[in-house]
Amino acid sequence: MTAAWMGWYRFSRNPAAIIGALIVLSVLVMAAFAPLITPFPEHVGSVVDFRNRHAPPSSTNWMGTDKAGRDIFTRTIFGFRVSLMLVFGVLVISVPVGAVLGMCAGYFGGWAEKIITGFTNVMLAMPPLVMALAIGNVLEPTLVNAMFAITLLWWTWHARLVYRVTVSVAGEDFIEAARLAGAGPVHILFREILPNCIAVISVKTTLDAAFVILFGATLSFLGFGVKPPTPDLGSMVADGRQFLPEKWWEVLAPGFAVFYATLGFNLLGDGLRDMFDVEA
Amino acid sequence: MALLDVKGLNISFSGYGQTRQVLHDVSFSVGKSERVALIGETGSGKSVTAKAILGTLPGNASVDSGAIAFDGLDLFRQSMAEREKLKGTAFSIIMQDPLSSFNPVFRIGQHLDDVMYHADRRRGVVSSARERKARILDTLRKVQLADAQRVYDAWPFELSGGMRQRVLIALALLHRPRMLIADEPGTALDVTTQDEILRLINRLVDDEGLSLLMITHNLGVVRQTADRVLVMRHGVIVEQGPLAQVFDAPQDQYTRDLMAAVPPLYGPGVTDQPVSDMPPILTLTGVQKVYSKRGLFKTGEGHLAVDDINIKVAHGEIFGLAGESGSGKTTVARMMMGLLEPTKGKIAVNGTPATGARRLSQIVYQNPGTSLNPKRTVAQTLAVPLAHTEAAADRQARMEELLTLVRLPVSFLSKYPHELSGGQKQRVAIARALAAKPRLIILDEPTSALDVSVQKTVIDLLLELRESLGLTYVIISHDLSLMRNFCSRIAIMLKGRIVEQGTPAEVFAETRHPYTRALISAIPVLTEAEQAQKPTVTEEERAKFLVPTGAEVSAPAGAAE
Repeated sequence: MTAAWMGWYRFSRNPAAIIGALIVLSVLVMAAFAPLITPFPEHVGSVVDFRNRHAPPSSTNWMGTDKAGRDIFTRTIFGFRVSLMLVFGVLVISVPVGAVLGMCAGYFGGWAEKIITGFTNVMLAMPPLVMALAIGNVLEPTLVNAMFAITLLWWTWHARLVYRVTVSVAGEDFIEAARLAGAGPVHILFREILPNCIAVISVKTTLDAAFVILFGATLSFLGFGVKPPTPDLGSMVADGRQFLPEKWWEVLAPGFAVFYATLGFNLLGDGLRDMFDVEA
Repeated sequence: MALLDVKGLNISFSGYGQTRQVLHDVSFSVGKSERVALIGETGSGKSVTAKAILGTLPGNASVDSGAIAFDGLDLFRQSMAEREKLKGTAFSIIMQDPLSSFNPVFRIGQHLDDVMYHADRRRGVVSSARERKARILDTLRKVQLADAQRVYDAWPFELSGGMRQRVLIALALLHRPRMLIADEPGTALDVTTQDEILRLINRLVDDEGLSLLMITHNLGVVRQTADRVLVMRHGVIVEQGPLAQVFDAPQDQYTRDLMAAVPPLYGPGVTDQPVSDMPPILTLTGVQKVYSKRGLFKTGEGHLAVDDINIKVAHGEIFGLAGESGSGKTTVARMMMGLLEPTKGKIAVNGTPATGARRLSQIVYQNPGTSLNPKRTVAQTLAVPLAHTEAAADRQARMEELLTLVRLPVSFLSKYPHELSGGQKQRVAIARALAAKPRLIILDEPTSALDVSVQKTVIDLLLELRESLGLTYVIISHDLSLMRNFCSRIAIMLKGRIVEQGTPAEVFAETRHPYTRALISAIPVLTEAEQAQKPTVTEEERAKFLVPTGAEVSAPAGAAE
């Protein structure tokens, strides 16, 4: 019985994890094939159809239309694209940066450890929302700038996590054995220690994806939008909010979409945690 | 009628969609005041047997058939509550690991009182705190913890390993059980402490007229503590009989192999390794190591780990460094490797690394489970040293050659450590050390994590490799019976100093230092003949050089590390 097979066994018998995986998969598929599965792909652009504005859900517009008469279902599905881009943008930078800094701090110790962990602690003390608002005010209040702000802070969580794992792994005999066999620090960091961190990193990254989606929606709800008319979930909720409670369908679909994607990534992350049997 | 009667026990475990039978038709009995030993190696099912008796089998275990009767009472027909009541009063278990069996945030007395309080309540006895304490202090005195009151008030970390093991025994005795089940007692402790613990258990069994079920893999321990022996393998009892009969004339091939795998201490079976007359490869002169205290507030001087070490290791010899935990043997080994700088003294190396090799020496660690990276295949592990010693084109061939050298199939190159057994992992670790082309290999307790039968094959392999590759070994170990047969010269360390040095034959025949005598006399041996040849230790010497027997609360056990 290999470890991979035992992990898969635990994962496949965990209904929550399977549901999470299916949700995440469905979000990815919907985002990728949005033009094919949505009824009005042109509504993503600057289409205005005032005769049909604020239309309630019907067989043509499954989730109704917004104040410009655009199909909400279509725009929600396309909204996943912005959310996933944000997830990708934030994590593709902050995860590797955090992992490398964490490993360096944990393995080299001494001043490297003091500086990196000290700096990490300072950055952790900054509330991301405040940081995003500050950067948004200095630069332009766009979602890209806000996410840039999140990226600036986000690596710290990975640095901490990987640091902790590295400290425990670095004391193992196999690290000393590799050193005695002539391995250099680059080999030890990336070939010996990193593979032992992959499990925690992937669990944390999956859980992060949920948080970034939620955070991105929060920021765009607060006005850090993408350039209109590109649909994104947070600003769709912000737009529809003005017409509550009569035009309830305008916030329902984008709101549910945020919930759906966040839930999916969280369930998947918990499932991976059980599968890898790690603390993250 | 026997006190404990196990009949046709079949137990299986299920997990990951599979079911595996771990006990096959196990039947045996333990009479009143009888001492029975259950011998087996890792995975033989001996602990499962104990758990079945105690009623602490894990949830994925199922009893397929069979019965266990205690004093005529069929245990499997009792309700949960009734079985709970039996724990501690009918039988109790002496746990194996004294170091991790206590919750560090509770005092010793609290641990004991909790057990007593709940056991009393289960039996419907009303007891006052004061009366319970009196009973607990009585029990502590029974396990030779003379200053019971201080032990009662002590925190777990304040007691040495031996004292904690005594408290665990007291815990088992609290409710005057009729049978003790001892699961490898003292294995985690030094040999001298283990010896004391075994004497104590024997005395308690005699004095109180208890029955004993001793679970162990150490045949020497069995000889000391059993009247009857059960040998278990892969969940089957392959042999059982009175101690003398099984030990003198083992019937089953497995029993015979087990006995043969135990290195003898005295007698005709002992091997004398030839002494090397070559020039020294490594010379330590007046070496001292002080671990200084680090941190913001440096106070006083540090901890003196080793002092005045003078060792000459000749080319081609097997030099043994023996000592108990905290004796400083690991510190010496690390200084020999160049991993630590001595505070004082000189370490001279007279040898040049082989062509392509980066260092003169390599190390084989005690625990192959932690010395191989779990996320890297055997090939990836071996590739690290080979990157320096071989040209890229030759590496694959060299890997296959190395695996053949350590008697592993070439197909193992693509395996991960968790797919290998302990002995196989240790062979891979040896192959990794060889790959770096060392002249000197430091063996840090290379077999102590392995089963006896595996131990022997690894030792034989090491001897062969030394012969064919012209290596020099330094082995550090606490296992003197192994060192007697494996080393060409040994040094005995006590509290950071070498107290005795010479060929094993000399040291074992003419022990000069009382500590060495105490160490040798504590080793569990297989035959009466060997027992008779062991040096004797006076009570005075025992008190001077061995761990305190519990008269006082000593410094934290970890302080000497």
